[in-house]
Amino acid sequence: MDIGGPLTGIKVLDLSEDIAGSFCTRLLADYGADVLKVEPTRGSAMRRFGPFYHDEPHPEKSLFFLILNLNKKGVTLNLESAAGRRLFLDLVGHVDLVVESFKPGHLDDLGIGYERLANVNPGLVMTSITPFGQTGPYSRYTGEEIVSYAMGMVMGISGVQGRPPLKHGGFQAQYQGGLFGAGATAMALFAQDRHGAGQHVDVSTTECVASTMMATQTIYPFIGGVQVRRADGTMWENPMPCKDGWIIVQAGGGATWDDIADFFQAPELLEPRFADRAQRVRNGPEMDQVVLEAIRNREKWELFPKAAEKRMLFGLVQTPTELAECPQLESREFYRETEHPVIGAVKIPAELFRMSPAGYQLRMPAPLLGQHNREVFGEGLGYSSEELSVMRQTEVI
Amino acid sequence: MTALPLNGIRVLDSTYVFALPYTGGQLADLGAEVIKIEGPGRPDITRGGGLYGTFPDNEPGEDWWNRPSTYQLLNRGKRSLVLDMSREEGREIFRELVMVSDVVMENFTPRVMRRWGLDYPNLRKLRPDIIMVSNTGYGHGGGPYSSYPAQATTQEGTHGHCWVTGYPGDEPSKAGRSFVDFLSTWSAMFAIGSALRYRNRTGKGQWVDIGMYQAGVMFLSEYLMDAITNGRQGERIGNRHPYRAPQGAYPAAGDDQWIALSVADDDQWLALCRQMDRDDLARDRRYQTLEGRQRFHDEIDAEIGEWTRHHDKYELMHLLQSHGIASGPVLSGKDVHFDAQYRSRNFLERVEYPEESGMGTRILMGRPYKMSKTDLAIRGAAPTFGGDNVPLLEGLLGKPSDQVAGWADDTIITDFPTTGEPSPTLDPQELVERGQLAEWDPEYRQRLGI
Repeated sequence: MDIGGPLTGIKVLDLSEDIAGSFCTRLLADYGADVLKVEPTRGSAMRRFGPFYHDEPHPEKSLFFLILNLNKKGVTLNLESAAGRRLFLDLVGHVDLVVESFKPGHLDDLGIGYERLANVNPGLVMTSITPFGQTGPYSRYTGEEIVSYAMGMVMGISGVQGRPPLKHGGFQAQYQGGLFGAGATAMALFAQDRHGAGQHVDVSTTECVASTMMATQTIYPFIGGVQVRRADGTMWENPMPCKDGWIIVQAGGGATWDDIADFFQAPELLEPRFADRAQRVRNGPEMDQVVLEAIRNREKWELFPKAAEKRMLFGLVQTPTELAECPQLESREFYRETEHPVIGAVKIPAELFRMSPAGYQLRMPAPLLGQHNREVFGEGLGYSSEELSVMRQTEVI
Repeated sequence: MTALPLNGIRVLDSTYVFALPYTGGQLADLGAEVIKIEGPGRPDITRGGGLYGTFPDNEPGEDWWNRPSTYQLLNRGKRSLVLDMSREEGREIFRELVMVSDVVMENFTPRVMRRWGLDYPNLRKLRPDIIMVSNTGYGHGGGPYSSYPAQATTQEGTHGHCWVTGYPGDEPSKAGRSFVDFLSTWSAMFAIGSALRYRNRTGKGQWVDIGMYQAGVMFLSEYLMDAITNGRQGERIGNRHPYRAPQGAYPAAGDDQWIALSVADDDQWLALCRQMDRDDLARDRRYQTLEGRQRFHDEIDAEIGEWTRHHDKYELMHLLQSHGIASGPVLSGKDVHFDAQYRSRNFLERVEYPEESGMGTRILMGRPYKMSKTDLAIRGAAPTFGGDNVPLLEGLLGKPSDQVAGWADDTIITDFPTTGEPSPTLDPQELVERGQLAEWDPEYRQRLGI
């Protein structure tokens, strides 16, 4: 029997046009919430983001839009028009949660900010995910991935000395805003259920990034120290080239230093100059040379299981293709297949974590533009076919 | 203001290092009673100082295990029980605690809780609506890596992050520190909030099985889709953006100071050229389209850097932002304490330590969100090792005091670690000279007003 997910029954409006808000609501949908994506009539900006299926730019073939909007239904609605806002307020009366990521003040300017929505629906939770948060002197500044890494302390310690500070690859800050925002939202939804109170949850993506840098932050108020990027040339605990790629090694775990020397078949590591942690830090570049020589002719997939036998903390650098074919991820049913009306059957990264008895569900692919207009506005809110076609002609939907 | 969301919720937090200990700290901020459980010979790694956090003023002190910065940040507002779970008496106490708790968190390798008879099927027999959260490197189940040991430091390569991070054309790299840990932190927050609500509705519990590896991979979803459908491998583009140019970190006035900026479109490019007073660049036909600016990114970077290096990083941010250009200074672990935005939002909170700890006032980061009707704050210092043994066993479980004393005699419970030593502390001035710290500011207390 299908018992659904832990969030089954929760109704959500997703106004976000970015990665963070869309990922937040996708997670809610993955674990059971009924999420309705509300797009402008021209379509979400994310539909113009690549990569595209078979590299064909097309609003229904953005793979980025697809993975961020799995399990959601979708309508179009022009919030710039008074008629559109009336429809929106109708919808707000029927939901538990609104998620948005506009620049702070934008929805207030349209007359549909949190206060107004809470008048319509006093139990409503609204989650706003923005680069700097709803308050403070920079709240209306323009954010971007790299700015969150810069101001969130990541870049100051990333990369190497003598070169510019380095950011994470991809869109980690945006995904973090989405996941951390989903965490805060789940707590607000529990409070809503328990105490009957709705509220406005204000998530700052830059603060999310900063939250991953807690070790760096505390050094100053504990000793007055300021962390810096590593010196070029020190590689331990960072990717080191082997025959067919890169590996990463760390001391600790269940392995002794003798085990590690044995694993590398490098007895030099047992010399006094590498005997303890302090020595290894001091003689880091020399130790790197010993390890690099030891792995020069060895292959990462040969080393990985051998390191695990020694209970070593060991990683290898995987490519996206290797990840797409990973047997561990297969065993966890991380990937699922969805049937998209335009793209066809396609494998997608699906399950963030396992949860049972009420857990993850793949229910549908991302919505086509305006796919559920008739279902939501017609069957749901009771507008007639004639009214809907007028709305279409006047570009309300 | 309304009641704290997790008032009256009790959490057993049998977790180590960064990921789920931080979840526990966040749950405490939300009002939960969080009981940190450690073994007498297995103090949390963050208690040792060194790479896992500094001792206040580099002084380990007699009870070094209670004092490191990272331990304090992750475990704020909790209670501490030190219990030897490798012995049956310890496990029996744990079982009794499960019966009066709402949530259990653990991050042992998969076989441990099973061997102890404390896996979900067994905990559920003790308390049918228990919510159990397990965090492991690769997740439970029969997969080939499920039993592999793992920590974030090495997993960043395995979950693909290093492949896409690095200077253009250069080797794979890392950014940040142990960042996949924090994806588990917040996966657990999301799962626990959802599970508590579900339990409120249905009376049913839940087992949550988080694998850090899987979370790290999920955050590369667009690369996975490009690999799956287009056979593309992704590439390292450093500080650049796939759909915008120019973007990067550029030198600002001062030693190792930087400004990050990102130009969204052609109009913003022209606005940037005007601010740089470089009409020639604005007119240069090579730079008028995104494709052109991507192709000549190196040349453009040199021109921008030549301008930015004469200006203060904050001055550049305010100037560029006034023209709608996304920008912000690269902030250090010191800078954030003086930044107007962090200050205004009280992201960094003052924590007053008990007189007897000698730790004074310190500053720890709070949480990356606010709730409009709930007053959230760090609710107190991290607990001393085993500091709540007696109140928990005598008060919460109602055990007679002679029995509790007997457990202490048998080291089933202790209030000191039976193994371990503090990491050696290194002189900050020496670290500066060796290039391992950017700066050491002996006046930090006056500057922070603590």
